[in-house]
Amino acid sequence: MQEAHEDHPMSRKLTVIPEQCSGCGICELVCALKHFGVNNPKKAAIRVLTTYPHPVVRMPIVCSQCKVPTCAQVCPVDALRQVNGVVQLDEDNCVSCYKCVEACPFGAMYAHEDCDLPIKCDMCGGDPECVKKCPKGALRLIPEAALGESRRLNNVLSYTQMKEIEFYEKGEKRVIRYAEVGKEEL
Amino acid sequence: MSIKSGYFKKHLHADLTKGCIERRDISDAFLERHIGGRGFGAKLVWDSLKRHDFRIAPLGTENLLVVATGPLTGVYLPASGKTSFISISPATGLYGDSSMGGAFGIELRQTGIDMLSISGRAPELSVLFIDNAETTILPTPELKGKSCLEAEGMIKERLGTHAVHVATIGLAGENLVKFACVNADWSRNAGRTGMGAIMGSKNLKAIVVRGQRDLPVHDVAGLAVESDKAFKYMKEHKYFKLWQQQGLMNVIDYANEKGILPTYNFKDSVFARHDQINGATMLDRYKIGDSACFSCPMSCGNICLVKSGKYMGTVVEGPEYETCAMLGPNLGIDNFAAILSATRLCDELGMDTISTGNIVGAVIEGYEKGILSLADLDGREIAWGDEDAILELIQKIGHRQGVGDILADGSRRIIEKWPEMDKIILQVKGLEQSAYDSRASISMGLAYATSDIGAHHTRAWTIAKEMEEGQNWSDDEKVDTVIYHQKLRPLFDMLGVCRLPWIELGLSELHYANFYKYVTGKEASLEELLELSNDVYDLTRLINARLGISREDDNLPYKVWANPPLTGPNVGKVIDREDFQKLLSLYYKKRGWDEDGIPPAELETKFAD
Repeated sequence: MQEAHEDHPMSRKLTVIPEQCSGCGICELVCALKHFGVNNPKKAAIRVLTTYPHPVVRMPIVCSQCKVPTCAQVCPVDALRQVNGVVQLDEDNCVSCYKCVEACPFGAMYAHEDCDLPIKCDMCGGDPECVKKCPKGALRLIPEAALGESRRLNNVLSYTQMKEIEFYEKGEKRVIRYAEVGKEEL
Repeated sequence: MSIKSGYFKKHLHADLTKGCIERRDISDAFLERHIGGRGFGAKLVWDSLKRHDFRIAPLGTENLLVVATGPLTGVYLPASGKTSFISISPATGLYGDSSMGGAFGIELRQTGIDMLSISGRAPELSVLFIDNAETTILPTPELKGKSCLEAEGMIKERLGTHAVHVATIGLAGENLVKFACVNADWSRNAGRTGMGAIMGSKNLKAIVVRGQRDLPVHDVAGLAVESDKAFKYMKEHKYFKLWQQQGLMNVIDYANEKGILPTYNFKDSVFARHDQINGATMLDRYKIGDSACFSCPMSCGNICLVKSGKYMGTVVEGPEYETCAMLGPNLGIDNFAAILSATRLCDELGMDTISTGNIVGAVIEGYEKGILSLADLDGREIAWGDEDAILELIQKIGHRQGVGDILADGSRRIIEKWPEMDKIILQVKGLEQSAYDSRASISMGLAYATSDIGAHHTRAWTIAKEMEEGQNWSDDEKVDTVIYHQKLRPLFDMLGVCRLPWIELGLSELHYANFYKYVTGKEASLEELLELSNDVYDLTRLINARLGISREDDNLPYKVWANPPLTGPNVGKVIDREDFQKLLSLYYKKRGWDEDGIPPAELETKFAD
């Protein structure tokens, strides 16, 4: 078996940055178009869940391609398997019991009356449509080791003890943030 | 060539008095002729008026409420999330419509219908639940008096699912406030012409939809290619990011710079403290999330949070330009947090922010000028920028308490009660004016005067062009532009899409003829589609003419003739009555209506079948 190259698209993860999602649903539309050839967001393997006003959340929900997939564990006929970083559905063996849809801890598998099989993200063979078409950059394909990066950065930027000063540089307003540390701590 | 796809060809009718639901077929000829949205609605309203010998009380059981999508609603193309609500307006007594974004219409279509019509009155407060092929009328007395936000939450809880879309009214709709709106997806409103009061008059708290059907598209691949081109164009536009960041809030600076920003009830048209309430301030201090209607990359919606101070904790989607201008500068409010609070209040009550801002502004000026006494205001003083008094007055309108009971009936009733208010309040045909001052733009005046729903900018918005062209613009060109807008802008509502990609980012209108072709399988040039849209304009004029409208009603607010803006680039400017009448005559001539603004009698036969 060929070893997956580090930069092989399949070793990349589809990640969601919910803070950037506008809830437009373009990901849903293009997913269903690609896999079913129809205009129907209800046939997508990705859906945007919206709550408002408490809390305000726009969260695209899509398969995380877990390394220990709950969906595969509950599958009675072994029709779900991790292959090259993607949990793939063996359409010939699937008995459409939808145990996987119910078991997924994220609710990231879907069902539709017209479809005989559960609807599951297949990463479009490594080049997901949703990532390409998201107008907000809320869906990204990144190396596994980079997962959580944006959250780390956001968290640091919002660190409550940071101080802020405003100043002008070539006529443009700039803000610099810094952590105020006492003399004895330096 | 006739249509091959693009529609479910089904019309759902609910008679709430009898509690019966009927699924009717729609003919190809009807679909081709009227396209969708307000095209469907105008025809249904016309037929219903004829059946009732043109005697329909807007809030009577016989008045029909039409909720219509278009063939492009919900398909893969930029901003396909529009739905229209059409009826006889309680504010004007004339043809009325209003469209909303969000995703309600997509879900409505996915139940397998192109439009919904509702007549009668439910015996108790109810919800119409269209769940795929099944439709039920659920009595929901527990929703009485609930805000739009609460009602949406309670309905989802009762149905045990978050995966439905809810179009609901708030207390204002239940109380038949004549500018009550319909609110969907928490914050998307069919705001104008009082469609919420129509639902209230039918004892209909909400319409709930859940659907999952494929949307009918003739050439899926062809459409995707065309749409990808349009999306690409938009993404590469230099202002794309600005639209995502600020949405319509970026118009505040523009309107202030051009001197068309309503300030102190249109006494002025620039606001000195505009930088405290503009898009940059919103982005800097209040915006916590972005929000888009279905399939829209521009995501012009802004979710804002007040993080400190008196209004701390206020969350609202919005405001957009109109709301911010009407509830901010127009009332002398320079505190963006207070504007957010007022916007949220209007969302909860389910009340149009444009009309509310106009009426509250007129009350403040009326009191200032002594037209309204302290006793008229129930002993509560009000002044420019008095946030507490303003928020309290908005509450009183929604609850119909004290003076709020009169104000809730809109500008016509206000003028009837206090005739001098006619010189204070800005309205045409009973609909309060949008947030673009027309005194420096006669073509915008013409647009307001001849809009089929009253003083709204939805039909024609020529003010930007006139600001650029200045005086070097012939009457012919002004009239032609107004008429072109009145054809094109409503076409977006008929197709079921938003017009902002075209207006704001300059996406060519030619795309839309192609979208129509790929979706319906029918070749139609943009010109042909515009002609169909123009027919609807003739039809709505016919409706209004039969309901008593003529030249004298195509009028403008008193201030536009008599009170110029006090400062700013348009200081001293008003519209000259004679110039306007000349322009109006030219407009009628080009439209083929007579000197009194009445369309030819033979037009009736055109809409006979």
